[in-house]
Amino acid sequence: MITLGLLEKNTFLEAVNKKSGANVLECYQCGKCVSTCPVSSYMDFPPREIMQMIKLGLKEESYMANSMWFCLTCSACSGRCPREIDIPAVMEAIRHLAIEENYRSENKKVKDIRKFHDIFLDMIKRYGRNYELRMMAEFNIRTRNLFKDMHLAPKALLKGKIPIGHESTKSAKAIQRMFKLAGKLEKEKR
Amino acid sequence: MNKLTYFPGCSAHGTSEEFDHTLKLVMKTLDVQMEEIPDWNCCGATSAHVMTENLALALPMRNLVLAEKLENKTMGIACASCYSRMKGTKKHLDENPEQAKRINSTVIDEGEYQGTVEIKSMLQYCFEEIGLETIKSKVTKSLSGLKVACYYGCLLTRPKDVTQFDSPEYPMSMDLLMEALGAKAMEFDFKTECCGASFSISNTEVVESLTGKILEVAKESGAHLIVVACPLCQSNLDMRQPDIEKHSGKKLDIPVMYFTQLMALAFGYPEKELRLPKHIVPVEAALKHIGDPVPEPEKVKKTKKAVEAESEVE
Amino acid sequence: MARVGVFVCYCGANIADFIDVPAVVEEAKKIKEVKISVLYKYMCSDPGQGMIRDAIVQNRLTSVVVAACSPRMHEKTFRKALSDAGMNPYMLEVANIREHSSWVHQKDKKAATEKANDLIRMAIAKSIANEQLHEISVPVTKRALVIGGGIAGIQAALDIADARIPVTLVEKSPSIGGRMAQLDETFPTLDCSQCILTPKMVDVASHPYIELIPYSEVIELDGYVGNYKAKIKKKASYVDFSSCTGCGACTQKCPVKVPNEFNMNIDKRKAIYTPFPQAVPNKPVIDATHCTMLLKGKCGICAKVCEKGSINFKMVDEVIEREVGAVVIATGYDLWDPKPYEEYGVGRYKDIITSLEFERMVSASGPTNGVPIRPSDGKVPKNVVFIKCIGSRDEAKGIEYCSKICCMYTAKHAILLHHKVHDSHAYIFYMDIRAAGKGYEEFVKRAQVETAATYLRGRVSKIYKKGDKLMVRGEDAQIGQVVEVEADLVVLATAVIAPKDNPSLARLLGVSYDKYGYMSEAHPKLRPVETAKAGIFLAGCTQAPKDIPDTVAQASACAAKVCGLFAGDTLKKDPMVSTINNEFCSGCQNCVKVCPYQAIVTEEIPLGHGSKELRTVAKINEGVCQGCGSCVAICRSMAINLAGFTDPQIINEIVAI
Repeated sequence: MITLGLLEKNTFLEAVNKKSGANVLECYQCGKCVSTCPVSSYMDFPPREIMQMIKLGLKEESYMANSMWFCLTCSACSGRCPREIDIPAVMEAIRHLAIEENYRSENKKVKDIRKFHDIFLDMIKRYGRNYELRMMAEFNIRTRNLFKDMHLAPKALLKGKIPIGHESTKSAKAIQRMFKLAGKLEKEKR
Repeated sequence: MNKLTYFPGCSAHGTSEEFDHTLKLVMKTLDVQMEEIPDWNCCGATSAHVMTENLALALPMRNLVLAEKLENKTMGIACASCYSRMKGTKKHLDENPEQAKRINSTVIDEGEYQGTVEIKSMLQYCFEEIGLETIKSKVTKSLSGLKVACYYGCLLTRPKDVTQFDSPEYPMSMDLLMEALGAKAMEFDFKTECCGASFSISNTEVVESLTGKILEVAKESGAHLIVVACPLCQSNLDMRQPDIEKHSGKKLDIPVMYFTQLMALAFGYPEKELRLPKHIVPVEAALKHIGDPVPEPEKVKKTKKAVEAESEVE
Repeated sequence: MARVGVFVCYCGANIADFIDVPAVVEEAKKIKEVKISVLYKYMCSDPGQGMIRDAIVQNRLTSVVVAACSPRMHEKTFRKALSDAGMNPYMLEVANIREHSSWVHQKDKKAATEKANDLIRMAIAKSIANEQLHEISVPVTKRALVIGGGIAGIQAALDIADARIPVTLVEKSPSIGGRMAQLDETFPTLDCSQCILTPKMVDVASHPYIELIPYSEVIELDGYVGNYKAKIKKKASYVDFSSCTGCGACTQKCPVKVPNEFNMNIDKRKAIYTPFPQAVPNKPVIDATHCTMLLKGKCGICAKVCEKGSINFKMVDEVIEREVGAVVIATGYDLWDPKPYEEYGVGRYKDIITSLEFERMVSASGPTNGVPIRPSDGKVPKNVVFIKCIGSRDEAKGIEYCSKICCMYTAKHAILLHHKVHDSHAYIFYMDIRAAGKGYEEFVKRAQVETAATYLRGRVSKIYKKGDKLMVRGEDAQIGQVVEVEADLVVLATAVIAPKDNPSLARLLGVSYDKYGYMSEAHPKLRPVETAKAGIFLAGCTQAPKDIPDTVAQASACAAKVCGLFAGDTLKKDPMVSTINNEFCSGCQNCVKVCPYQAIVTEEIPLGHGSKELRTVAKINEGVCQGCGSCVAICRSMAINLAGFTDPQIINEIVAI
């Protein structure tokens, strides 16, 4: 059970609204987003419920949800929302707030997804571009799932689907500098 | 000759080399000179904006600044995901000049951001700037007899205020393009359903379920193959098919081709230029339908004139 | 010398809690013209009014100031008290120290008290310059014009005519009956729409006090309350109604078929047609946009088969005039086109229809003889999905508001489906069930329990085709699961919208309309039937979406308003109207342009005394003038005076603060 007290100032709602540029209060719980969302069945709280949780000021519950990590940003929901709420932006706001405030879900899938993004960004930092084979391999190593998709590999490699070599941006230094400065901006913001 | 700034994206030089290759062939026929952005970098894909706001803007911004130096009116982008990131970033930067200045400081060595380049997906470029009539005029080998399901994915037409192109729910540009080549575009309800590409490595279970549904509906439409305009859609729909078939026990066997491969074919390039062996699901059998006799259109689709005539006198 | 009485009201605690009223009373006494200044708990009560009456006599007052609530509330009350004491009622001034001070300055009693003092000083100063005024009498033409012949217009016309007041009823289409004529059965009692409507339609046609002008439109309205002049365009019907017997030979033989709008284009009608069998008048008209004789000069079969020779291809539009004292607008509603719902495949799938199309199908006299069918293959559907709020409550695609009637008619459709197809099942996607009305919730229960319709709470996100079924996907929020319903037929409850011609009609009638195109009432609660323009009233959906009971009630209310207006031989009107001083008027006509009521015209008067040359000056029709003062403000030569708000009065007020 959740006890709801005097909700005079819903700072969580305010933070989400500010970061996303959306107004969560406009949500009238029609659920069109839920049946639109291709991954809502994998979320522990589908978009409609997340909206209500923000309205109720349930910060921790929202941060620990897997919903915003499963969001594919496909924008199908916002395209159909009768109140034109930018739901992917709301999901992104909760995700960024959770990262900033150091909330980490123990959910295996969420951890995998976060790891993937870390590796991906790492790759870009190093090469300036994505190197697909290495990406797959590193992900499997770091998630201790060495043989995942391995059955696909021979065929894909043989057919030239996934090239073995890779390219990189020549000005790797410029990219690394960008990463550093962007990281600094991120810290200044807080 | 038209000039076009070209942003290929990471996959064009990797998994979707056949897209890049046929695109270049097609553009040559259409008399478009493509200038690739020198030393471009990854747009950041989903990962950048999932994790950090500033980096998600900085990565595409560097490319935009580099593109501006080429001084062409339009930049064409091959990959739908890159297209969405770049165009979304441009919109955001143009609407928030203060933030644009801040982000610009991270890539200031490359130059100052002006916001002068118009961004289009390659499909959009073909449809809007080249036009169906011109494309039709270059067809030497009609694809008549071939039935296709056009799959646009999520990011080519969504969100509408970013892409400003076609319908986010039931787009028709690729369908019309295919009909210009002589093929028949089937009614296909899952044109813009998401295939889950950004989870292709980290969450394959989700991808298989989403992709499986799209393939199933495409198959039911009666299409011989699926046409796409995005490397991520292509590799997802193509590569995952054997696994999906294994898990569901249903035979799908529906090849997934780039619209540029079919354009190249219709423009008379030999099949070997299409790099067909790269496909996981073999394409050759489907292409054999080219030249199949086309049944006379049923009376269901009456011409406008016929309807008028009927309404007048019976 | 002026002798002013000041009467300050506590208004219970409304004023006294936030304004130091005793201090206000004392402050007023400091002004030398004030002969009496008193305080009372409820000045509007009978003892309060008594205080005023007594003071007027005892203190020989020349004007009265009441410091209380808004004059909109009790100005009339206090004017009457003055009259009763033998004083001209327009010697009253009301200082609104409630809405303008105590209510809006509840946190600062000192400032509120000061403001009250200022307001009272101003009122005292103004009242000293007040002049005796007298109500204006305007003549009245006792005939009403009703625009629109749906159930609203029919009811208003019948009620007015029953009071022996002549009515002119103008209907745009060939027959009266409107939307209600298209309905099968009506909620919440399921009585047949035609059975309860057609007798009223026949009554209209036969009523000695009703002049029915079908296939016509109002194109101009001049004048003012009690004295309007309407121009009505009778569209060419190419059929002489006076000789036509309505035998139907012409419609039978006509070879041209066009989609039948009365049946929502499900079947076809002829180019010469009566919209439906029970039409009133039951005379055909020729649809000029489809008739081959009128388009190409070939055919003419109708004229050949008409025994009475009633067909006249040379007929042209005709404009007639009627003088009327009041107007009732009853233009009804339209339905929203659901095309923007691309995710449902609207326009691509034949088996997605609108509620009114379903209504025509289940109607016993409809194009499918009362049995719903799938337009794609003509089969009778078993699984039918109804989706509510299509365009309603949808800012992105349609409109923000709730269309009010869809919850009820969808429940009705579920019941009717069950009546017509016994082995069918209804699924209803909804967001909320709005069943506020007599017998309404009980009716919804009937759909849920007796018919066992399945209600699913959620907005449908997608419809796609699978075989010959339509897969309807939505969230069932009650179980928190996404569901897909295999539908044979999908029925969309499309939003009620204002007729697209409403804004142009509103402009020509001089009444206002809202952003959706609905005609605006004078006050959303207390004057829901009147428009801001005196003598023009609203009935039915022309004002906002409504069901039949509400529409009929409002139509009868319109009739009561019209009868009230026509009760005397003349109309009484406040004397606060503008007058022109011809000597100062330069004829610039700026006042003509700014007048929102079209109350100012121009006239030619001699240039000088006895001069034959003429000059133009403005002239105010005091019957139309509402005393808004716009003309006074725009007049550069200060030639206009507004009674009750003269320059000396205003200057006195300004000087007093």
